[in-house]
Amino acid sequence: MTQLMMFSLSPLLIIAFGLVLSLLLIAWRRSQKLILIFTLTIFVLALLASLSSVMNLTDAVQVTTLVKVDNYGNFAFMLVLVASITVGLLSSTWLTHSVEVHDEFFLLLQLVVLGAGILVMSDHFAALFLGFELLSIALVGMVGYSRDSQYSVESSFKYLILSACASSFMLLGIAFIYSQSGSLSFATELFVYEQTSPTISVFYHAGILLFLVGIAFKLSLAPFHLWTPDVYQGAPTPVTLLLATVSKVAMFVVLMKFWFSQPQLFVQPLDQPLISNGNALSALNLMSVFAVLSMLVGNALALKQQNIKRLLAYSSIAHMGYLLIVLMVLSPHSVALAWQSALFYLSAYVLATLSLFMVLQLTQAKRGDIELEINDWQGLFWQNRSLALLVIVGILSLAGIPLTMGFIGKFYLLNVAVQAQQWWLIATLIIGSGIGLFYYLRIIFILFGEENIGKIAGIKNSAVDYKLTTVVSFSASMLIFVGLILGLYPDLLGNILVNL
Amino acid sequence: MNITYVMCSLLLGGALAWYLEGVKVQSARWIALLTVLVVALYFAVSVITSGLDFTELQLVVRLPWITSFNIEYALALDYLSLVLVSLTLFLALVCVLVSWQEIQSKSGFYYFNLLATIAGIIGVFTAVDMFLFFFFWEVMLLPMTALIAIWGHENKHFAAIKFFIFTQVSSLLMLVAIIAMAAIHFQQTGRVSFFYADWLILELPLSTSFYLMLGFFIAFAVKLPSVPVHSWLPDAHTQAPTAGSVLLAGVLLKTGAYGLIRFVLHLFPQASMEFAPVAATLGVFSILYGAKMAFAQQDLKRLIAYSSISHMGFVMLALFSFNAIAYQGAVLTLVAHGLSSAALFALAGMVYSRVHSRDLNDMGGFWHSAPRMGGFALAFAAAAFGLPGLANFVAEFLSLVGAYQRFPLLTILAALGLIGSAVYGMVFFQGAFHGKEHGKEQGKKQNEASTIADLSKRELLIFSSLLVLLIVIGFYPNVVLVFFQKTDLITTITSAAGGQ
Repeated sequence: MTQLMMFSLSPLLIIAFGLVLSLLLIAWRRSQKLILIFTLTIFVLALLASLSSVMNLTDAVQVTTLVKVDNYGNFAFMLVLVASITVGLLSSTWLTHSVEVHDEFFLLLQLVVLGAGILVMSDHFAALFLGFELLSIALVGMVGYSRDSQYSVESSFKYLILSACASSFMLLGIAFIYSQSGSLSFATELFVYEQTSPTISVFYHAGILLFLVGIAFKLSLAPFHLWTPDVYQGAPTPVTLLLATVSKVAMFVVLMKFWFSQPQLFVQPLDQPLISNGNALSALNLMSVFAVLSMLVGNALALKQQNIKRLLAYSSIAHMGYLLIVLMVLSPHSVALAWQSALFYLSAYVLATLSLFMVLQLTQAKRGDIELEINDWQGLFWQNRSLALLVIVGILSLAGIPLTMGFIGKFYLLNVAVQAQQWWLIATLIIGSGIGLFYYLRIIFILFGEENIGKIAGIKNSAVDYKLTTVVSFSASMLIFVGLILGLYPDLLGNILVNL
Repeated sequence: MNITYVMCSLLLGGALAWYLEGVKVQSARWIALLTVLVVALYFAVSVITSGLDFTELQLVVRLPWITSFNIEYALALDYLSLVLVSLTLFLALVCVLVSWQEIQSKSGFYYFNLLATIAGIIGVFTAVDMFLFFFFWEVMLLPMTALIAIWGHENKHFAAIKFFIFTQVSSLLMLVAIIAMAAIHFQQTGRVSFFYADWLILELPLSTSFYLMLGFFIAFAVKLPSVPVHSWLPDAHTQAPTAGSVLLAGVLLKTGAYGLIRFVLHLFPQASMEFAPVAATLGVFSILYGAKMAFAQQDLKRLIAYSSISHMGFVMLALFSFNAIAYQGAVLTLVAHGLSSAALFALAGMVYSRVHSRDLNDMGGFWHSAPRMGGFALAFAAAAFGLPGLANFVAEFLSLVGAYQRFPLLTILAALGLIGSAVYGMVFFQGAFHGKEHGKEQGKKQNEASTIADLSKRELLIFSSLLVLLIVIGFYPNVVLVFFQKTDLITTITSAAGGQ
């Protein structure tokens, strides 16, 4: 292993080493504060390491056949780390209630991050599966972490069983693909079987299909989305945030890596007639169907949701549908733009989700950990301006309205779609965003509504005191600032993405 | 000459008003008034002293903005935008003045939204980078929606959501068209550009340009509004606070017409020529349908809203008849309708503040107690139905004369709309100011309804300034028309269409 390999792998190594040290730390002294600080330190170190790789790496580095470190992966890992740091901070407010020491939670968190890190850097089905399972199994533990809550058993079981199904589907798919290609690496110069017997290509198709089903489950694309709202609702809020950001980012990035390393899936060879090119059409069509269904189903089902987490669950389904548009690339030249679009959109999505969940967790904590309905945010704007602004910026970003990052993200997506001439997807995106505005605007209007102090006078918490600590209000204003500044000067991020 | 200063100072003034309202109650309106006055003065002085010839687009500023897409921050002015910006600033004063007493709660934030809307509208009228145009187009929506949703009447959330979704979905179509244009520019020149002047010289095949033109046309037709997509307007107008209605009718609708002139006609002359019969038919349909619906309304603001639809139909008809006289008529209609509808909505707001109802059934006999108000109401109603001597007469006359040369039958039908407008104008005036005093029928409302206070000095100032302008333009339309004598628009379009 050369020094370059060590260097490029250092973010992952830091996390893995940190995990071992955390175990030792627990053996030495069980203190929640200590393990929190230690976890955050590890994450920050890994963040710095990946930042320095982004700045120094010019080319992708193949570290063994399993892992290929490139800057797209590094950037995605940075997103994962930022989200995980927020999760760590937020869970510290949530884990204070009981007398137990919650070291396990932070260990699981580190495992999730490790899994996500392996995923975004994998170049091999084995690495992919390893990362996938690390992520899923650790998440199952976290989803059911608050044992005394009403839904914890239901949601963690749901997640466990469906996630296991998805991974077995995926494993079977990988096996089928392997049976045809003879290699588990993503980038294999194989596939001569355009000419060979049709049975081979049936297996390959089945393999691709099963593999994509496994991925679609994790990305909660329709029609594999059914677990999402229940698990989102049942999981503790910081864990929901983890599901919504880390798991989605990692899975999407690995999907893109797989997809773009298999040009026969999407590129139409010029010299061949369309008929012999069933591969390209079927995989692309499958993805278009996923995309269209997710956009419509996600947005339509979010319309009537009252519970904020369920609403965000459905909206995340729609957003993954939008994101699939970047896979609709017809020529290898557009791949760079597709990566930029995906990473910009993911950053916007992660930032917006972070903002919303941060407010959710804070208001929930103030109200004594009850399940929050949208109406509980009524009049928030007049009670606490910075929290409300955070929600507004987050929501507008998700809705894709100018001034926010989300709009630029949508602009990127539309650029990709126009270049690929996917007019039906564009039409669905427009319809989907139109439907989406209903529920996004409803939240914003509720923020501006009359304060409902009198309405629930029976509950003691009604006159909630929204005083924030300085750390929280600082990070809130930072999130608002970043969301707006990247909406106004997207170059700050765009130029980084161009140079990745 | 710096439009950026104008917009920034409006925003800053709004922010200052918001802040100072918390320090000293009722200071916000003074700040807002001062801001608008100073900005208007600055604008007037700098236009006069600039010594530029605004018959052509004069570039004011051009800076790179989003370099990854070659998007620029480019603003330019010609007489069209100059006239519309002046109208905007004048109506901004009216808006601040009509809100003087009406807005009592959260007034700091109210004036911030008001001024932000105005800044956005000025941006729309001056942007010549298409992305920037779209940006402002969306940005002006946000504070406008807030104005409706927070300070509106009983059904405000529904109206605000409807308003926002109509415009947002249609403008996404425009965004797709904009991106497609940029992609075409890339194909033809090897460089992405969103700059308006670059697009003017593109060679577009007719079939492509037809679809692109439709993308723009739908967005502008929704804003104008034209008949099949008008249904947001009555709701938004009815529910908005008075200043919101004034701003909507006076300026926001004009952004649709401005877009038609600046972008649809200039960028796609041939396609517009092809599309003209459809557009003109839509225009005539709007005229007649708007007049008919206005006649059937009991709600005063709904009545005026439908009359707006009717009047904007004239603009559509005139613009798509490609005739110099009709074009002048269309521009003059924009100004005249901006003034007269603003006056009518201000009147409706003043009546509402006195009797707390918009229902014509609750009105009647106001002339006795408020003769000055009645006089002004008569004058503005007369302006709306095009009494000679007032601006609207000249405008509609020119539109019809011009349009007749191209669409004789449609123009004859459109002229029927003038009769319709006289009918609903009289219905409004008689219902509110003549007839029995309403209070005498219902004893309990006696004190409120039978004697209403006449105009205060502030209201007198608003009305007389609007009326003076209407009369001046009515008798001497050249104050506006002198700027539109050399209309190269018509020649370019006819020459382009002649070359087909």
